[in-house]
Amino acid sequence: MTEEPYRWLEAIGNRREYIRDQLKGGTPVFACSRPEGILLVGVGQGMSKVFEIYDRHGFAALGHPVDIEKIRQAAIEAAHIEGFNRSTRDVTLRRLIGFALSTTLKNAFEQIYSPPIIVESIFAELGETQPEDVLVRVHFDGHHKYTTDGVVIAHTDQKMEDEATAWVRKQVKADDPLGRVTNVCLTAWRALMDNKGFDDLSPSDAAFTANGKTVEVALLDRKLAGPVHYRSLDLAKIKG
Amino acid sequence: MNGDFLALLPKPNFAQLGAASRPEGLEHVQATTVFAFHCKDGVIIAGDHRATAGNIIFSDKTEKILELDSHSLMAIAGVPATAFEMARTLQTSFEFYRRSQLQPMSLKAKIRALSRLLRDNLPATLQGFGIVQPIFAGVEVDDPKSKPVIFFYDPLGAQFEAATYAGSGSGSGSIKSVLHFLERWGNPPPAEMAVDQAVALATRLLMTAAEFDAATGGVHPDRRLFATIKLLTREGTRNIPMEEQERCWKESAA
Repeated sequence: MTEEPYRWLEAIGNRREYIRDQLKGGTPVFACSRPEGILLVGVGQGMSKVFEIYDRHGFAALGHPVDIEKIRQAAIEAAHIEGFNRSTRDVTLRRLIGFALSTTLKNAFEQIYSPPIIVESIFAELGETQPEDVLVRVHFDGHHKYTTDGVVIAHTDQKMEDEATAWVRKQVKADDPLGRVTNVCLTAWRALMDNKGFDDLSPSDAAFTANGKTVEVALLDRKLAGPVHYRSLDLAKIKG
Repeated sequence: MNGDFLALLPKPNFAQLGAASRPEGLEHVQATTVFAFHCKDGVIIAGDHRATAGNIIFSDKTEKILELDSHSLMAIAGVPATAFEMARTLQTSFEFYRRSQLQPMSLKAKIRALSRLLRDNLPATLQGFGIVQPIFAGVEVDDPKSKPVIFFYDPLGAQFEAATYAGSGSGSGSIKSVLHFLERWGNPPPAEMAVDQAVALATRLLMTAAEFDAATGGVHPDRRLFATIKLLTREGTRNIPMEEQERCWKESAA
């Protein structure tokens, strides 16, 4: 009997290790708050990584496609029920993540006899102005962090994720067009995938080689008329 | 996870009431005027701004033409509380489906969704306090050859496609008469009118309806009070703003 808590701790540790192992090979996703709106970038192989959640909300994730789908559906359901029962303005990431998704993720993570949810994700909420944009990094165990400095990256390795985030933040200037911001994200994507450092890295203007993967770019467009602000962007067009 | 937003909602309580509880003397009333007709570029859908409660003018600023999504519109006639709730339910349902299923809902499914809401509202309809007779206009999002269509409904949910025009509400009788006349003997008939001409016609039709129906109102071009007029084309919905209505009105009078 006295051993039970220790077994549980060990099981949780094993579970964390198992999930991190399963996440290896996942490709990073990016969110950048810009004057035009919030840019979401992902590079996938067949399966989408960047999604619309609600009128002003987007989602990008890496992990097991079925689990990404679970989280996406849960977020869409929660947002639409809240928007219908109250109003679209009451659908906020603070409530969506704080009271619905993070508890679901934490419960799923701690239910050691059920399959874990293998997802690392980013949620974005478009504000009226750039300083009002909300970006949240959500981990598989429900832990989440709000960011106010305009760039969030989700990757499988925390140290490299922090380095890449700092590098992207440094490279992107206030008046950069979306094409250049996308280029910076894709350069960071390549560096993360190749396990390169960011010390001597500079944004590449060369054509991005996706090696059979699909680049997905979407914008929560601040200027779009009507309630829906999410739109997919054509990579070739925004890069000019 | 089947994209059905209605399945997530609790059943409304009034659906449990029996038809026998209809209060005596309660009349089925749709005091309003909304209509839609085909023009050269798509569908014009319009409505007055008056809401009444018996012989009381409740408001002259009511919006009765509601955008359900970027490619479909609903004109409401009947009990506002139920009609607005139906429109809101459909707005959320269509967006929920599009986002969760990663594809837009088909036009046929949208038409049926409104029919389903009307059928679910049957107890309130039979009791006389929840009757709604809407008009729906929509276009298939994913089919580049699809043309905008107009559907009208009976209060129990049966749907009918309107080949040329549809009207609903207490003032729609006179409008349907004029539209029938113009379709038969007009030169050009409404279906061949350009948008400017069709917008001016819509304003005239509402003023004609207001002449004979006390529950239709709020449209007075001389006081710069115009109707809600929207255009549905292959590309989607477009609101015709007051300034554009005024220009069309003046050009048609010149």
